[in-house]
Amino acid sequence: MTGDTLLLRQIHPTFVQQGRVTSQAFRPTPKDENRLSVYDGDMIQPEPAWQHYTMSLGFSSIGVMAVSHAECGALDLPVEPDPEPFPEHAVINFSALQKNEIEKRAKKLRTHAEARDWLFRYVTTAP
Amino acid sequence: MFRTYTSSGYSPCVPYVVGFQNRWVELVSDPIPFLRPRLVGERFEGGAIPLEVLKDLAAVEELIVEVAKWSYFQDHPDRKRLPRGFSGGVSLKITEIGDGSAIPVIGLFLASANLVTGQQRIYFEQARDHVIHAIDAAENNQTVTSHLPERLLGYFDRVGRSLRDGEAIEFNYVDPAQPARLTRTTRRKLILASADVQEVSEEVVLRGAIPEFDQEKMTFTLQVTHGPRLSAPVGSQHVHTVLEGFNGYRTGVRVALQGVARFNRYNRLQGIETVEHISLLDPNDIAARIDDFRGLGAGWLDGKGVAPAPEGLDWLSCAFEKHYPDHLPLPYLYPTAEGGVQAEWSLPPYELSLEVSLDKRGGEWHGLNLESDLDTTRQLDLESVADWEWMVREIQDLGGRKPR
Repeated sequence: MTGDTLLLRQIHPTFVQQGRVTSQAFRPTPKDENRLSVYDGDMIQPEPAWQHYTMSLGFSSIGVMAVSHAECGALDLPVEPDPEPFPEHAVINFSALQKNEIEKRAKKLRTHAEARDWLFRYVTTAP
Repeated sequence: MFRTYTSSGYSPCVPYVVGFQNRWVELVSDPIPFLRPRLVGERFEGGAIPLEVLKDLAAVEELIVEVAKWSYFQDHPDRKRLPRGFSGGVSLKITEIGDGSAIPVIGLFLASANLVTGQQRIYFEQARDHVIHAIDAAENNQTVTSHLPERLLGYFDRVGRSLRDGEAIEFNYVDPAQPARLTRTTRRKLILASADVQEVSEEVVLRGAIPEFDQEKMTFTLQVTHGPRLSAPVGSQHVHTVLEGFNGYRTGVRVALQGVARFNRYNRLQGIETVEHISLLDPNDIAARIDDFRGLGAGWLDGKGVAPAPEGLDWLSCAFEKHYPDHLPLPYLYPTAEGGVQAEWSLPPYELSLEVSLDKRGGEWHGLNLESDLDTTRQLDLESVADWEWMVREIQDLGGRKPR
């Protein structure tokens, strides 16, 4: 991975309201052991990543957003390959941070991802 | 919307009908003190009586007349008909409102022709007592039909229909031993004590989308959010809004409908009887968005999410309704993996969030200035008015004004 490497994040449908994504999508849940799962964008493109996540793994995602490796680095967030679940899997490590520091970084990552816009979005026809 | 009536002076709501003394018209008696129901609940504080509640009181007259007729036939089982004018010349009217309290004083007015026998008054007073006993029986889980026949219980469907949770009409508040408190619960018990009645109507606010609009039949379908699809009539005054809702269905436009709906014995929504108001909802409408979370089950977040508690969602919806002013921008709301709700505001350069614990009725506030990198955190007690006021000030001070 390089600084330009995009880290692809799957967005759960309930984490979007009127097109706006919650900062929660960019912070680990308490059960994630403070590691936020992403796809290594050097190894897989956004749409195939979405297909893998929804079809192979059977999880819910309305689309794919991304932050870069460099953006994580600027926020002192280590990015680590974690190929055990599947080869393209990586994690952004929040484990050294207190809760308000996690929230702060999640908000910044959300802003970076929002500026980059959706890299892939599954379009539904029903409201 | 609300209007306070006092016992002194003219009240435009008092339809005080008086006969002319020197012409042949039906003369009307002086009012006979009949009922002094007390309205209890937040809406009635300070003696205010919302006009919509007058409908509930108006329906009492119909009930009393029918019970008086029944009472008469109980005493005269051999008679097939009522005495002429038994109910025709009778009316119940509000004659005054108790000072500083929500106690409408209701008088019984009798046409003078019927005063001769004095029978009417006896049967109407008996009817009142039967109604009071029946309400009291419902409240105390006793047998309602010991006081009123099943066939008349359906009349309670229109009495007290606008009552909300926590509200009551005490028909006999002067007697603490038998206050005859009509609440949403006792009203339901009274109506369903009749085996003939299968549905109860209640005033409701429903939110949902409009997938169908039949302009020939003038009906539309409301797909209640996480609820049933219901057909409703369209009044001419609502056509424009219904059409807008229907046209916006595919883009997620939702409406709020206020009206009367029917529920079955299991309290399941069965249909919409009347529509009083219908309006398009803001895309970020808080209550409608919170409704979206009601369908989340355990494991909703790819096996990890905790389902938010319905009563917690009700509480949060009411809390925002009560404490969050209209002039501030509506927050974006999202469920959290822990079964809570996170509210977020983007007010460049500020990113604000409130992570709400529905269990604890509290929240963690976090505000970040993306330019200066300074942030603030605060624990909020969301049962506290002061903490809501703090949050409102904070949002306002950080530029949170609704775009015009």
